[in-house]
Amino acid sequence: MFFHILVSKLIKDVEGTCSGRHGFVVAITGVEDIGKGLIREGTGYVTFPVKYQCVVFRPFKGEILEAVVTMVNKMGFFAEAGPVQIFVSNHLIPDDMEFQSGDVPNYTTSDGSVKIQKDSEVRLKIIGTRVDATEIFCIGTIKDDFLGVINDPGAAV
Amino acid sequence: MARRGRDEDDDEVEEEEEEEDEEEAYNLDEEEDDEEDYEDEDDEEDDEDEDGGGRPRKKGGGGGVRGFFDEEAQVDEDEEEEDEGEGEDDFINDGGADIPDEDVVRGSRHRSMPMRDEEEDIDEIERQVRERYARSSHIEYAEEAADVEQQALLPSVKDPKLWMVKCAIGHERETAICLMQKFIDRQDLQIKSVVALDHLKNYIYVEAEKEAHVKEACKGLRNIYGSAKITLVPIKEMADVLSVESKSVDLSRDAWVRMKLGIYKGDLAKVVDVDNVRQRVTVKLIPRIDLQALASKLEGREVVKKKAFVAPPRFFNIDEAREMHIRVERRRDKDSGEYFEMIDGLMFKDGFLYKTVSIKSISTQNIQPSFDELEKFRKPGDDMNGDMPGLSTLFANRKKGHFMKDETVHIRPKISDLPKTLAFNEKELCKYFKPGDHVKVVSGVQEGATGMVVKVEGHVLIILSDTTKEHIRVFADHVVESSEITTGITKIGDYELHDLVLLDNLSFGVIIRVETEAFQVLKGIPDRPEVVLVKLREIKSKIDRRTSAKDRSNNMISAKDVVRVVEGACKGKQGPVEHIHKGILFIYDRHHLEHAGFICAKAQSCLLVGGSPGGRRGNGMDTSDPRLGALRSPASILQSPGRLPPRGPHMNYGGRFGGGGRGGRGNDALVGKCIKIKSGPYKGYRGRVKEVTGGLVRVELDSLMKIVTVKRDDIADTPTVATPFREPRYSLGGETPMHPSRTPLHPYQTPMRDPGATPIHDGMRTPMRSRAWAPMSPPRDNWEEGNPASWGSSPAYQPGTPPARPYEAPTPGSGWANTPGVSYNDTPTPRENSYGNAPSPCVPSTPVGQPMTPNSASYLPGTPGGQPMTPGNAGMDIMSPIIGGEGEGNWILPDVLVNVLRAGDDGPGVVREVLTDGSCRVALGSSGDGDIMTVLPNEVEVVRPKKSDKIKIMNGNFRGYTGKLIGIDGSDGIVKLDDTYEVKILDMVILAKLAS
Repeated sequence: MFFHILVSKLIKDVEGTCSGRHGFVVAITGVEDIGKGLIREGTGYVTFPVKYQCVVFRPFKGEILEAVVTMVNKMGFFAEAGPVQIFVSNHLIPDDMEFQSGDVPNYTTSDGSVKIQKDSEVRLKIIGTRVDATEIFCIGTIKDDFLGVINDPGAAV
Repeated sequence: MARRGRDEDDDEVEEEEEEEDEEEAYNLDEEEDDEEDYEDEDDEEDDEDEDGGGRPRKKGGGGGVRGFFDEEAQVDEDEEEEDEGEGEDDFINDGGADIPDEDVVRGSRHRSMPMRDEEEDIDEIERQVRERYARSSHIEYAEEAADVEQQALLPSVKDPKLWMVKCAIGHERETAICLMQKFIDRQDLQIKSVVALDHLKNYIYVEAEKEAHVKEACKGLRNIYGSAKITLVPIKEMADVLSVESKSVDLSRDAWVRMKLGIYKGDLAKVVDVDNVRQRVTVKLIPRIDLQALASKLEGREVVKKKAFVAPPRFFNIDEAREMHIRVERRRDKDSGEYFEMIDGLMFKDGFLYKTVSIKSISTQNIQPSFDELEKFRKPGDDMNGDMPGLSTLFANRKKGHFMKDETVHIRPKISDLPKTLAFNEKELCKYFKPGDHVKVVSGVQEGATGMVVKVEGHVLIILSDTTKEHIRVFADHVVESSEITTGITKIGDYELHDLVLLDNLSFGVIIRVETEAFQVLKGIPDRPEVVLVKLREIKSKIDRRTSAKDRSNNMISAKDVVRVVEGACKGKQGPVEHIHKGILFIYDRHHLEHAGFICAKAQSCLLVGGSPGGRRGNGMDTSDPRLGALRSPASILQSPGRLPPRGPHMNYGGRFGGGGRGGRGNDALVGKCIKIKSGPYKGYRGRVKEVTGGLVRVELDSLMKIVTVKRDDIADTPTVATPFREPRYSLGGETPMHPSRTPLHPYQTPMRDPGATPIHDGMRTPMRSRAWAPMSPPRDNWEEGNPASWGSSPAYQPGTPPARPYEAPTPGSGWANTPGVSYNDTPTPRENSYGNAPSPCVPSTPVGQPMTPNSASYLPGTPGGQPMTPGNAGMDIMSPIIGGEGEGNWILPDVLVNVLRAGDDGPGVVREVLTDGSCRVALGSSGDGDIMTVLPNEVEVVRPKKSDKIKIMNGNFRGYTGKLIGIDGSDGIVKLDDTYEVKILDMVILAKLAS
């Protein structure tokens, strides 16, 4: 019972957080050890050291990821792969893709065959990461072989 | 003798030669003085040595006059110094060695004292020469002297001083030479050296210990007036007097320069051609031509001279000129063979003006063209790379030469096959960055910004700024690699980026950008983002108060709560609240690119969503006091009960009820409420009640971020406080799970029965945890929208739900899965969190109770109807869903008297049976003798018992028990149980009148 309380508390506090060293904590897979509790004076709360295992997600430079485009603007587009936000600058979008403003801003090739807009799925390569205490931000490129749109919601409809 | 700067004209050299001739004449006459002169010469050499070694301060005072040749050598040296760095002769080289052991030299001078005549001298000279060359082994040492050693060479108070003496303009050199000669002629002069600088007219420098010595030396010179002022050069500036101006950069084509004179003053120009002989440069400029004026002039009309007017730089357009009837000739340049358009002697090509000017009228040092300028210079269609060689010269001349040794840079290559070191000219090198590097700008316009390199274009980097998410173009040279993240400076005075500040005119706003001298402030005007630039002094103060506001549904919003803007210009934006002031929220939405992500909105046009991200951020507040956290973010609980910290208030209540209702429940109802302290040392403070212990209340003060203990009598409920009326529902939550303890289903029933149940036994928490894993918990929506703040804990479970099952299994909550009719999906919208619908979140909770008391389940939809609610009771509302989660649905029981609200059939009735689908069968009539009908839960309302009525307890530990209401105390009823004759104080809400 008590174990469960601690575990759920742990899960609540830890899952979904991000640490610079390990990346995002995706899921806790097991608790190894719960140490002795320390009663906090004045409050009656107890602090326990808990050792646990978890699945983490940390993007690395050079990694190829698939991500969903969340926003497109003239400077490039933002995409998300799970909790990680990735920015792809227009300099890192193939030169033949042009920005089209309008209701649904997008990047389109001159022949219109490929279109990147919100909710498109793209495969990209991470070329830089910035790790904050609570966030990992990456910049990526699709200007490389085998990178680019893998599923276009607009085309599917 | 004179020392001069570097760029010297030929004619000046000639002049000097003449002077030398004069000196010769002197020298021949003055042979007798040799001995002493010798000494002097030694001394002088000594001084020169220092010069060679980089000591700017001194220059040999008089010359050694041993003969013409010596003197000649002297002059030679003088000339060579003008080109220092190129033609160092032995003399100077030798000098470098002297610095470390100046004293030795002085010593040698003393040794030479007894010398009588030149014949005997020879040996001595030889000896000295030897000494010198022996010492030359030190040269390297001196040259490699570190900066610190160089510092040590700077003049100190012990050294002779430098005096600035006024002399006739244009005769500076002459004066210096005269003084030198005078020194040679007269032994009593006590000056050390004389310096005339080319760039300094009207003055010469004399080095001497005392002003009197200088006066003495200057006496009688025709170029120095008797009344001339003699000024002491401060020690600090002494070195600067003789600083070597860096060698004029060899102007080459494509170099960037700036004009010094005329209407183009300060304009950027590009060197097209250099004529070193005539000292002229042809540069390319963006013309500032007033065509109108030009046309008038060419037509011979009077041109009104407007002095102040300088035409803006603009590319020259021939067609435009032709339209104005300006004759444009096309001519071929004799030298370059290129064609130019000629107008009134001005040469144009491709819109640029080609101008030939004197080298002196342009500045070549430290040209740092800004991007704007370069952009302008680049004609549309031009490739930026075309300018790259030009840019490289930029960086070549950026350094202020201060005894520059060499421009060669030695590099140790990383590739192993290359030789150990490679030598390059400085000009050939530039900093190298790869896309993806995280860098910081250390100079230039964008100084201080950080970001990631997106693209490298030769010398130019395109950086994605960390904070503004915008592209910045910077020169590679202005950038260093760094992991730091800033927008540049983030603080001026007391004010920091993202602070909420009060401005002069009583408006307020958030600092969204800190510039060198000012702040950009997003003013607190909702729906119309207004950014103002304010100076430090225009900011009155920082607003640090922790306040809260109410959202559209009267939920309390505190800083860090996640809200969504539901109306106005920023509709749909969502993010954590950073500041609250006067009902205005400043929300940080990381998807919002403008204003550093800040959105300003009225609290009333926002809705609280998700949960307080406090836990995620390790906010001490939330972790240490889950109840408070729960209160602060009620909606989060409504939407996702699982986020409620396990240690909810239930513990408290469970314990209390278990303990036989000790203490006044009214007091406990205070917990979590906003109160005002009405007396005692904290009088006037407001805060939230954190804990009630007997007559003492622990209150967290809003203003002090501090928890204090005050007497119960000292506090006054503020109007926002919930009436205790609904508190019972609260306790219902606590009690319900205990109730099922009677059902054999639950393994932990035993502890439940324990009246003194410790919080751990509180079955309450288990169901909640089970909900924490609920795959459908609403925050998922937020998560899908990519808001990291709401990507808190519960959504994260979703992928991990299966492993979570084990936790769920033993809990009664697991039962919910078996009731497909009930789903959390019903409650995710914030609207339902609002008061009116507050009970609805209870609905999904019912299943929790179902396995325990299947009977009651049928009543659950009736909850809203049966529940007398007090609107505006936000504090309680917050809690109610949780309670509901535990078993609110259970509270209609058979035999209780209800009012049927169905149209046409309304009237009293007696519940006969509670069906599993939540509805119940009611026998109409107050005694239950009428027709039996099935009603929906929302069509019945429990009849409140009056004093002395028989009652049935519908919730809590004593659910199902019957008793007699022997008294009513506010919202509490005093109940005497039928079974045990115990007297209990229970909330009226859970009491239902039993059918008679």
